[in-house]
This record gives sequence, structure tokens and C-alpha cells, in this order.
Amino acid sequence: MTLAVFLPFLLAALAAWLGPRLGRRTGYVAALAFVPALLLAVPLAGAGPGAAPALEVTRWVPDLGLALAFRGDGFSLLFAALIGVIGTLSSLYSVAYLSGHERFGRFYAYLLLFGGSMLGLVLSDNLVALFGFWEMTSVTSFLLIGLWHTRSAARDGAVKAFLVSALGGLGLLAAVAMIGLAGGSTTLSGLDVEALRASPLFVPALLLTLLAAFTKSAQLPFHLWLPTAMEAPTPVSAFLHSATMVKAGVVLVAKFGLLFGSSPLWGGIIVPVGLATLVWGAWIALRQTDLKALLAYSTVSQLGLLMSLYGLSDAEGRFAATAHLLNHAAFKAALFFVVGIIDHETGTRELPRLGGLRKALPVTFAVALLASLSMAGVPPLGGFISKELFYEAMLHRGPLFIAVAVLGSALTFAYSFRLLRVFWGPPRSPPGAEPHEAPPGLTGPAALLALTALAFGLLPGVAGALTRTAQNALDFASYRGYLSLWHGVTPALLATFVTWGLGGLLILQAARVGALGRRLTPRVNANTVYYALTEGVNILSSRLIARTQGLALPDQLRIMLGAAGLIAGYAVWRSPQVFHSIGTPPLALLPVAALLVAGAVGVLLARSRLTAVVVTGLTGFGSAAAFLGLRAPDLALTQLLVEAVTVILFLLVFRYLPRTRDLPRTRWRYGVDLLLAGSAGLGATLLVLAGVRFLAPPISPYYLENSYRLGGGRNVVNVLLVDFRGFDTLGEIAVVGMVALAVLGLVRLGKKGRAPGEPPPVPASPPPKEKEEA
Amino acid sequence: MSPDPLPPPPAPPTPAPLSGDPILRTVSRAVFALVLLFALLLLWRGHNAPGGGFIAGLMTACALILHRISYGHTALRIDPARLVPWGLALSFTTGLVPYLLGKPFLKSDYGYLTTALTGEFEWATALLFDVGVYLVVVGGSLAIAYGLIRVDPQERVEGDE
Repeated sequence: MTLAVFLPFLLAALAAWLGPRLGRRTGYVAALAFVPALLLAVPLAGAGPGAAPALEVTRWVPDLGLALAFRGDGFSLLFAALIGVIGTLSSLYSVAYLSGHERFGRFYAYLLLFGGSMLGLVLSDNLVALFGFWEMTSVTSFLLIGLWHTRSAARDGAVKAFLVSALGGLGLLAAVAMIGLAGGSTTLSGLDVEALRASPLFVPALLLTLLAAFTKSAQLPFHLWLPTAMEAPTPVSAFLHSATMVKAGVVLVAKFGLLFGSSPLWGGIIVPVGLATLVWGAWIALRQTDLKALLAYSTVSQLGLLMSLYGLSDAEGRFAATAHLLNHAAFKAALFFVVGIIDHETGTRELPRLGGLRKALPVTFAVALLASLSMAGVPPLGGFISKELFYEAMLHRGPLFIAVAVLGSALTFAYSFRLLRVFWGPPRSPPGAEPHEAPPGLTGPAALLALTALAFGLLPGVAGALTRTAQNALDFASYRGYLSLWHGVTPALLATFVTWGLGGLLILQAARVGALGRRLTPRVNANTVYYALTEGVNILSSRLIARTQGLALPDQLRIMLGAAGLIAGYAVWRSPQVFHSIGTPPLALLPVAALLVAGAVGVLLARSRLTAVVVTGLTGFGSAAAFLGLRAPDLALTQLLVEAVTVILFLLVFRYLPRTRDLPRTRWRYGVDLLLAGSAGLGATLLVLAGVRFLAPPISPYYLENSYRLGGGRNVVNVLLVDFRGFDTLGEIAVVGMVALAVLGLVRLGKKGRAPGEPPPVPASPPPKEKEEA
Repeated sequence: MSPDPLPPPPAPPTPAPLSGDPILRTVSRAVFALVLLFALLLLWRGHNAPGGGFIAGLMTACALILHRISYGHTALRIDPARLVPWGLALSFTTGLVPYLLGKPFLKSDYGYLTTALTGEFEWATALLFDVGVYLVVVGGSLAIAYGLIRVDPQERVEGDE
């Protein structure tokens, strides 16, 4: 399992390297990454319902209870296999789908990173690792949606998806922390559920978990990001929408249902939200003219269905949900592939501009027919069976629930047929396009998925067995669920007939439905709220910056130093007893101290900038001398070199600085600066004095004794840096690198890096009148 | 005084200031090599005596900046910013190896090796980590310095003296 999760990550690095070399064939390599995930499903076939889940634990930070724990229970493995199948097919499909001038390395690397994070998410048993993978799916889907980042719609979609799901991610982080605290463990399988239920943190954790699940799975108030996420290339949409990203929230609800399901709040929130999403998503989907938008809203709606079923928190609901999960993955991925083919062959996805594609694209038509019928819930396809289960579950809830379910399904039925309309009627396609059947690289994966959808219906025993594998994880071991096409004349079947009738009516009265839809469209929707919010934050921040950052650098420094001095002064006034004398300083340091003071005063008195730099250097070299006097040669050496480099950099930036005579310093300013410098220095001294009181035995003797024995070096400072505190050093050099890149960016921006439309920056000083000769 | 938009710079490869100075060139040729050698010595002996990757890196950066200023071109064939990711990767890998071998992350290892040529000497994986630090420091500081050196003459603002 660990391999299955990490192979995609390893191959992602490889794909990034292979991309420019292999071109589109990188996709074959990418498909390999999901092989271990597929192999995970093999033991599923033979495992009985009571099979103990495998657990693989890799230590990470044991002191914090962090580990990479992967738990191969039935549900996780089933989902991992699903990701594997769709991931492989998407990779293969992409080989034929992407045009020749794509950046393949980047595309496949992102795709694999995403697949790997998703596998990690479903298999993870450790809550912290689960959160990490969750966030990684957000980041990688941001990269995937924004793949064609030159288009503003793609950028907008990516940012929107990221903002919304990152909001949920923060909620999940808090929820994970609360669950870990209250449940006494950071692993899902080790949690003390009773303690969690008794804890006051139970309800907040539940609500935050739901926030995470709803944002990720595009439930009603948060559904806005999913339709814009279709700006991603179509294979990515198939992967994101059918198997993975958006189902992460469903996975969360399914997995955490065992922790929270006992609370009435859990189902009480999820089921209504899910059902509302089902109806609302389907209603919007029905009125889309872009095929991909139609599918995107259909995904929103279907996720609502899955969510409401898992939210029921009983065996019946979970069984039905798992069955529908499989069906949905099969037909939705197939439909995305179909839309990709249509887009590829005709150059458009607009419904009104397409028609009669049946003759030109027979194979695609067959695939689309099977998949759409499955989505519509027509026998003998898999979608029919799982919809019946859905009705059964909702019937047990009450008449209102079944009514809403029927309404949602009728809308689903209608838009499924609307999608098929592009294949009927007179041949119509945009001018210039000569649609003919797509290459097998495109139709193959789609056909495979459509046949799976058919097989789920014709061989319900197989699908039932697959669904039942999830039972050891989702706790429906006692439920005698089975799948079959014919289960007698039940209320569910009658509800299906009602659905078909209503759906047919919706299709026949399409014009009236459209008019009604236009009238019902609210002026304020989630999107307008989102844009108002982001706009507002932008305006607020730019105003804030204009207010606070408008000062010249010296003035900002004055304010900061003044504030620090005031705080230190307040501290002295309040509690003078914290300060301790440091005894008598060594007399040898007195000249050094005099040098430091002279340097500090000299800076204030310096008339020219050059003098100021030299005099500042005095303080630096003075500190180095002080370090030497305190027998710290390493520090002294470092200080000397830092001083040298500072002087060099100072000299280099000299030419960029405004002339000093443009910044007149009045007598009054001198006084203020003197006061500020004095108080800051005094404050720093007092801080040092406050710090010398030892609250604990000093740690330095430990290092002195052990540096040679444990680290093998006689230079204690160096051993400290590279071994004892090596992790800090690693972080520090990472900071050094980042600072360098940031400064580089600033320098280059000042030189030439202006965006074309941007006005030139206003120089802080007037342009030079005569050129300086080098 | 109005800030009219600057004309597109003609951008000829301008020699850095002072680059023609013969005295500077002659001195820097010798000093450059000496400083580099000393920096490498510091890096090498850092484990047991004052020195180490950070100091050696800064010293090397000083030497290279001197070279750049006196000759007008860089002594390196590559963009110094590229050293940063390599250094980070090296340091990270030296930490990862002991972790994968079941020891704490970044635990350094050392031992003694006796060869006919050198006599007994101590090897330590900490040196590799230090080399990573060295590369990051050299790359980072050089990238900043070079970025500031390369500037078109008309962008210069008169110094105060």
C-alpha cells in the first residue's frame, strides 16, 4: 500500500523529466503509476466480509504521534482501485487527447501527484497524514485546473477551487486536532470513540468535518467552484469529477460516519444538504448549453445523492451509496471522455450547435447511450439498480424525502436525455469541422467504462460482491444487501415510474422549463457572493497597504524602533526585578565596547552615506572583536564575513538610492533619531539582561561533553549546526534560498520585469540629469 | 520633474565599474585563488575547528564578487541561483539517508579511515550536509550580488558624493 501511494509521486518526478523527451508517450509511463493501486484490489476478490484489514505503518515523527499509516480496509481498497482504474484510463486517454504542443511533463507530473495524494487520502489511517494528503489534493487540483494558465478562465477556476477547498481544509485541520485530542489517538482505527462522543469538542469537530466535506464535494453553498473547474483539460475533468477530488468529501463522510454517525446532527445536516444539492444541481444542469458544464453540474447533483446516502449512517444507506459510487465513477468518466471526443472532433461543446453526430461517431454514440442511460437510471444498467436502492433508503425516511429524491432523479433523467440530443436530428456541426470517428486511443477508455456500467447492471452479483467488500470498513456487516435488476413491484419501482413520467414531461416541455428557469434564476447566487467577497478583500488590502506602507523606509524604521523602545521601557517600569546584573564584564572588552558605541554615534553624525556605511561597519567589526574576546572564534569569523558581504552589497545598491540631499535631515530629526537609537539600544541591553537569568540548567555543558562522542567533531558549534540542530539548519538554508530568490525577483522587477499593460513605476527620485560614466 | 516613461533600454553588455583597472586585476588574480583555497580549507576543517559551510560560502561569494567586479564577467559557467536547489537537495538527502536506514532524520555518521597517503583521517557525513549549506549560501548571496551588479547605466542615480 505504501508503494501504491508513493509510486505515483516517484513517477511524477520521472514524468516531469521524461515529458520533454517522450512527448505524449509519457502517458504510458504515467499509466504504470497506478498499477500497484490496481493490484491492491486483487485480494479483495477473495476476502470474506470479516477479513481483517491490512495495516502498514511507517514511522515519521513518532514523538508527535505522526506516522504514515495506511489501512487497507475494504472501502479504502475499493476506492483505491477505482482511482487506479480511472487514473490509468485518463492517462491513456490523454495520450491521444492532448495536442502536440502541450507541456506533457508538467501535465503528467501534476496528474500523478494528484493521483498519489488521492490514494494517500483514501488509504490513510493517520488523521494528520490524511489531512496532509487532503491539502495536497487541493494544491494539485489547483495546478491541474490552471494548467492552461494563459487563459483567464482557467486561472479564475483554479483560484476559486483552491480558495473554497482550502477553506474546508482549514476546517479539517481544526477538526483533526479536536478529534485527536478528544479521542486520544491520531489514528482512525485507534480512536476512542466513546471518549470522543462524550467530549465537548464533539460538536465543533463534527461541524468542521462537515465544512471540509461540503467544500470538497461541492455541496450546496460551496458548489460554485466545481463548474468553473472544468476549465481543466477534459481527461483531468474526468479524473477529478468522476473518481477522485470531488469524492474526497464523500470519502470523509463515509469514513468519519463511524465516529459521528450516532449524533442526530450528522444526518440531520448531511441528508437535507445532500438532497438539496441533488435537486439544485440537476436543475441547473438541465439548463446548460455547454456539454461540459452540464456534466459538471450533474456531478454536483450526483455528489449530493451520494452525500445524502452516506449521511443516513445506516447500513442500508451506506450499501446503496457504495453501489452508486461505483456506478457514478463508471458512467461519469465515460461521459467526460465522450464530451472530450465531441470537442476534439467538432471543435465545440455547445449543445445548440451540434446534432446528428450518430452517423459520424457510431462508437462514441454507443458509449454515450450506455453511460447516459445509466445516469438516467434506466434498466438494465447499473445506475438503475443503485437508484432503486436510493429510493428504498429514502422511502424508509418519509414521504418528503422520497418526493425530493424523485424530483431530483426526474431532473437527472431529463438532462441525461438532453445530453444525448447531440446525436439525433439533422447532422449539424460547426462550419469547418468534419466529424469522424475518434481514434481508438480516445474511444477505447470510454468504451471500457461504458461496458463496465452495463456489466454492473447485467451482472448485479459481481457489482454486489464489489460493494460488499466495503462492509468491513463501513460497518454494514449485518446488512443483507444485494443488487438485482428485478425485485418485484415495490414502492421503489413505482417511484421509478413516477420519475420516468416526470422526466419525460420535463423533456417534452423543454421550452416552458427553460422559460421558468430564466424567471427563477436568482440574482444573487454563490458566484456573485464569491466575487463580491474576493473583490472586497482586494480593495480592503490595497487601502490598508496605501495607509500603512506609504511611509519612507527611514520613517518606518523610526516607528518600529520607537515602538520597541516604548515596550521595553514599559517592561522596565512595570517589573524591574526581572533584570539581573551579569557580574563584572571582562576588562579587555571595554575598548571593544567603546568602539561599538563610537560606531553607533558616528552613524548619526555621518554627513555622507559612504561615511555612514563605513562607520556602521565599525560596529560590525567591533562585535566580531567582542566574540573573539568571549572565545567564540566561529561566531567572530561569521560576523566578519557577514560584515564584509554587507559592505559589498551596500556598495552595490548605492546607485539605486536617492541622493541624501533629497532627504533633508533637520536638527529636530537628529534629536528624534538620537533618542530612538538610544532607547532601542537601551532596550536591547535590558532584554539581554533579562535573559541571563537561568530558569533551567544551561544546556551548553551537554553539547560540550557530547559533541565529540555523538557527532564526531571537535568544533561544538559546527556539530551543533549539522547534527544536533541539523533540522534547524536545513530550515535556515531553505530560508536563505528563498530570500535570495525573492531579492532576485525584486531586482529583476525593478529592471525590466514590468507586465506589458502596467504603468511604469514612479521613481522615488527624479531621473538623473546626466549620465554617470563608468 | 514628471516621471515620463523611460525609453526601452538599449541594453548593451555594460562592463561593471572599475573592471578595467589593471591594479585591481593583477591583485585580484592572486587573491581570488587564495581566498577560494582558504574557503575550501574552512569548509573541510569545519567539523573540528572554526569554519563550516556558512563561512566558507560567504568567503567564496566574496571571492567571486571580486572576480566579477575586476574582470567584468562571472567566473561561474552557471547562473548562481541554480546552486540553491542543488544545495538544498544535497542537505536534505544527507538527512534522508539515515532516516531511511532507521536512524533519526539528519543523524550524522562518522568514522576513521587510514590510507597510506593521508594517514588516519576522520570522515563525517556532516561534511556533505555542510557542502549543501555551502552551495546554498554561495548561490544565494551571489544571485543577489550579481542581480545588483547588472544594471543599465541610465538607470543609475547619482551617488551623494
